Amino acid sequence: MIAISIALLALLGLSLNLAFSTSLTQPDWAMALLLAALLARRHNWIWVLPAIVIHDVVLHWSVGLSSIIVALAPLAMIYFDQHLGAGLPQRIVLMAIATLSLLHWGWGATAMLLTLCLCVPIWHLLTGLYAQKTA
Amino acid sequence: MQNVRHRYRLWLIGMMIFAALFVSARLSIGSWPMLATWPALEALHTPVQWWQEFSLWFSDKQKLQADYLAFRKQAEQQASLIQEANSLREENRQLRSILDIAGITGYRWHAAKVRGRSPETMSQRILLQVHGVSKDDVIVSSEGLVGVVDSTSAGHATVRTIFDASLAVPVTISGTSLAALARGQGESLSIDFVPEEFVLKSGQVLYTSGAGGLFPPGIAVARINSVTNVPGELFVKVSADPVAHWQRDNWLAVASHLHQPKSQPQTSP
Repeated sequence: MIAISIALLALLGLSLNLAFSTSLTQPDWAMALLLAALLARRHNWIWVLPAIVIHDVVLHWSVGLSSIIVALAPLAMIYFDQHLGAGLPQRIVLMAIATLSLLHWGWGATAMLLTLCLCVPIWHLLTGLYAQKTA
Repeated sequence: MQNVRHRYRLWLIGMMIFAALFVSARLSIGSWPMLATWPALEALHTPVQWWQEFSLWFSDKQKLQADYLAFRKQAEQQASLIQEANSLREENRQLRSILDIAGITGYRWHAAKVRGRSPETMSQRILLQVHGVSKDDVIVSSEGLVGVVDSTSAGHATVRTIFDASLAVPVTISGTSLAALARGQGESLSIDFVPEEFVLKSGQVLYTSGAGGLFPPGIAVARINSVTNVPGELFVKVSADPVAHWQRDNWLAVASHLHQPKSQPQTSP
């Protein structure tokens, strides 16, 4: 249910980005939502990865750096969790790298900052929801 | 032992995903996924349209009257321009038939509403609401050349702007024999094949030359930014900015190619 809601919201965000890209400074809604879902639970990669590929293909007509980074993020999370233990700093670094990948597509600095600012609360919210679900 | 096998599998999966995405990144998937989003974009634009219509109820009557008079004056001016264009087109047709110049395609101009833009700082792709266009039709703003139609569906079309590296526009400067190519570089344009003997200055405007037959001649394309002489090279390095600023335009013009019917082959008796 959470996955479907996030995917639908990401689709809405994608449309908002296309419809009002020059009239409003917006975050990359889809990227923020999908990244937050991945950071909250790394097993979500199974639907986050196709969704991020769709994001790249719709907005930029080809698969790019953001898809590659999001694809490698869960593997990096497994690696870091094994070697450093589960923790926030490495996830924050991954979030920052994934957001910075928008530079490759020519997004503005304000939009990237907004994406980061949106990602953090959604990540917090989703982590809480997943914790409630397991409890 | 199991831990080692698990790590090996992790690296293998990682490498496979990376390789698959890297290979697909080299391929351009095309514009149809963006084109498929038009129903969602239409739905998002509907409340904006409602709001604009609703806000008219609260506009001052005098302001509306002034707007109406200004638009009427503009429409009359446009009508006289259309008359002039029609007479010039007819004159052009007659001159072509006298000179026996065949194979030059004409263009049909019509307006298109912008429904979506890709979100980069300099939008490289545009989604238009327009009827009766086909692939490679030329998109122009009130200032200059914007790009070409990439794909079409019922009532909508995607546009590849001149920032796209796959698009090369034959350009010239009026009154000279310059024949160069303007090529997209993401956020600027590079002008290729400008010989050293042409003295170009920053601020000069390049226009479409009409070579190749894709773009109508005489449309402003790029304003020169910088000219650099490269020692040992035949051509100078020229960087330019597009003349058109389509990031804010709500309406764009489409020049559709009017393909002349092929002449019937003469049958020998």
